[in-house]
Amino acid sequence: MSARYEQDRCAHASLTVRPFQIRGRFLTALALRIENKAMDAGFFEALDDHLRATPQFFADAPLVIDLAKEPGLADPKQLRDLVDNLRRRKLLVFGIQNAGLLKADVLLSLGLIPIHNGRDAPAPNEKSVRASRVEKLLPPDNRTVVAPVRSGQMVVAERGDLTIVGSVASGAEVIAGGNIHVYGTLRGRAMAGVHGDDKARIFCRSLDAELVAIAGLYQTSQTLEAAGPDRCMQIFLKDERLHMEALA
Amino acid sequence: MTTQLMEEPPLGRVIVITSGKGGVGKTTSAAAISAGLAQRGYKTVVIDFDVGLRNLDMTMGCERRVVFDFINVIQGDARLKQALIRDKRIETLSILPTSQTRDKDALTKEGVETVLNELKEDFDYIICDSPAGIERGAQMAMYFADEAVVVTNPEVSSVRDSDRVLGLLSSQTKRAETEGADPIKAQVLLTRHDRGRIDSGEMMTVEDVLEILAVPLLGIVPESQAVLRASNVGTPVVLDGPSGAATAYEDAVARLIGEEVQMRVLADRRPGLFQRLLGRTA
Repeated sequence: MSARYEQDRCAHASLTVRPFQIRGRFLTALALRIENKAMDAGFFEALDDHLRATPQFFADAPLVIDLAKEPGLADPKQLRDLVDNLRRRKLLVFGIQNAGLLKADVLLSLGLIPIHNGRDAPAPNEKSVRASRVEKLLPPDNRTVVAPVRSGQMVVAERGDLTIVGSVASGAEVIAGGNIHVYGTLRGRAMAGVHGDDKARIFCRSLDAELVAIAGLYQTSQTLEAAGPDRCMQIFLKDERLHMEALA
Repeated sequence: MTTQLMEEPPLGRVIVITSGKGGVGKTTSAAAISAGLAQRGYKTVVIDFDVGLRNLDMTMGCERRVVFDFINVIQGDARLKQALIRDKRIETLSILPTSQTRDKDALTKEGVETVLNELKEDFDYIICDSPAGIERGAQMAMYFADEAVVVTNPEVSSVRDSDRVLGLLSSQTKRAETEGADPIKAQVLLTRHDRGRIDSGEMMTVEDVLEILAVPLLGIVPESQAVLRASNVGTPVVLDGPSGAATAYEDAVARLIGEEVQMRVLADRRPGLFQRLLGRTA
């Protein structure tokens, strides 16, 4: 419904005398797009209903007629009828969009300005604003996966611990804001504390990982300490270094 | 060849033979498994999904009988009955070849579904021979599957690709997307198993492979001269005389239809009557 209308005029006034100033001006207008060819009583009834429902919305707002959907309406007689009807409803019609072949003097006699390059503005989205506010208040969201994580899969627990009951294959990624527990062999990549939590830890039944990281500090398989096979391991940060420790 | 006719309505099970990696034996396995099922009297059709690189018809020895293909049927240029090729050796076996001149984009989800639904009305087992890779052809082959046979060689890259495919089977298929449906029953078929190379540490052991893939084992097919020989003469390996590979595929087929068969790996060294008897008593 709403449209932004850019008014842009060039002035050729003499530079010596300046009784006025020319300024660029933006103004917001509503666009009334006609979607239905039949401009009968039904059309105006529907319009009246709409006006009654939101009277403030239309008060004092400049209005543009848009014929994009119905170029057939660009006929002087029908247009005059439409404009008269709109003005009778106290709508401030001042322009017309997509008027097609209508002559400038016809539009002038109706008091309408032909408008080009107007763009529809998107309706403001209140939901997204609200959602971002709510996100900060959400409790931690732990995640448990009771299947092996396959090569090429990525499992993320954005705000909490991630527990995998099964192995993590090479080429798979497990990512958590908190701790990561793997009840199987960790062969892929594991990243714990991805939002900077340096208290996060990684636990696994057997360690053969491509990469482990905590709070952004990582080690790849080449630098991983050789641990005995089938030993439960925990990985944690201490003095800004990754430590790997066998659990019992 | 003995084939018994069955009176009950067809089972209409769709089984995809897939692997991710190329050259591991998908088409050989698809040919052998479908021939094995048909030998047992099940009405079986095997579909080639490798559009543009069709090989199944050669493995099955019917490349000179292809007139219409799978893509013709999908695009409505031919009826299914016109495209199906009935095997000359086994009455219950049919082949639906694919096009060599088109590419995988010719496969549409709706088209594949229509063809599969039509086949389900006539066949007990519909074997989908997937192309290598995880792109459109492979996705279409696995999408409507009820079961999957993941063909794997005992080496690292093949196992890793199979693992990737198992992930796709559990996420990018109709059964995975349908709420409340049973997941696809996936089993691994280990091919090109070579005792000597495993003992010398060149190949992964069966236990290692299963530990990584974490799905049931359908069978172990030994590396065998018989496979190449059968492929060259256009015969599924189970129909090409006794061999360790043929026995392994027969065992795999038995397990596929729910029989309990003990896992065994026969070497190829002792051909002849003795081994033939072993193969039959299973």
